[in-house]
Amino acid sequence: MTEAEAREALRAWIREHNPDVPAGEPADGTRLIERRYLTSLQVADLLLYIEELRQAPVDPTRLKPGVFASIDDIYGAFF
Amino acid sequence: MDVPGLRWVPNGQSVLSGELLARAEWLDGAFLAMASAWGAEDHRFPSILAAAVLERIDWFRSFPQLATFPACLDAGGANLARFIEGQPVTADGIVHPTDLAPIGDVLTPAACYHVYDHLGDRTFDRPRYLTTRNTCFRREEHYQPLERQWSFSMREIVCIGTAEEARSFVEAATAEVDRFVAGIGLPVRWEHATDPFFRPSKNPQYLMQQVDPTKHELVFQDRLAIASTNLHHDHFGRAFGITRDGEPARTACIAFGIERWLSAFVHQFGPEAASWPS
Repeated sequence: MTEAEAREALRAWIREHNPDVPAGEPADGTRLIERRYLTSLQVADLLLYIEELRQAPVDPTRLKPGVFASIDDIYGAFF
Repeated sequence: MDVPGLRWVPNGQSVLSGELLARAEWLDGAFLAMASAWGAEDHRFPSILAAAVLERIDWFRSFPQLATFPACLDAGGANLARFIEGQPVTADGIVHPTDLAPIGDVLTPAACYHVYDHLGDRTFDRPRYLTTRNTCFRREEHYQPLERQWSFSMREIVCIGTAEEARSFVEAATAEVDRFVAGIGLPVRWEHATDPFFRPSKNPQYLMQQVDPTKHELVFQDRLAIASTNLHHDHFGRAFGITRDGEPARTACIAFGIERWLSAFVHQFGPEAASWPS
């Protein structure tokens, strides 16, 4: 999977779970949690999806603050 | 350490008097003065809270180990008669209740929960600031005088507003507390923190607190949290139907544990009030 494909897959996941997201959102730098595009109820599901995309497990006990802040941050932390 | 004005009750509570009590009130007065910077109106809520209020935020599944419930005997005459005809309290201090009335309440585990219930289903077109102090109850595995108590005093200042207003409030409150502790000379620092979730690895809210640093604690001597700031996003706004400009309100709070501040004073400046800064 290329970087562009990974970012687009993440963007599509956010849109799928937030039908009211405006067109063109979320951009790579959009603050996902502050905009409430990502809530505590969704974060575990997103983690599973990230594992599926990168085809490798993620240790949830070692997650650092800020890794889900934006698509840029997610890509930088997990891919 | 023997502290004048402190009597420790082994079930996890302390009795304050004299200079120690005066210092507790002095500290609360200082926090109340901070609250006035936002025009926060003081509120006095009861210590008993309807369990349904906390159920709206799924509190019991997150923190069941902390809950203390007020239990009452079923008021039926025959039930009360059976209670007094037996031995109500045995020599080891254990109560032997007969039938209990249904439990619908909980003793307040944090002062600010009352605020969200109080403002529930209301709409605001400007930020709203409230402050409150309450006796809070948290069941723990062990207790330590002034530092880890079953019941303790908590002063909170709460902001209800937009995301930007909530964030600005936390920044300003943090700066205000920094000025205060610098003035009295307490060695403290702010640390990213998480709440004490039950089975944290299975709780999505704990996972969220790990990755979204919304809680910070003011830690004395690298070991004792004496205050915390908390950004809740729209967690309480959604749960209690509080809106700001047509959207779920964002909330934030700063909380002060009064007895823990007393412990910090005692450990930093000694047990005698004469040596404490004012």
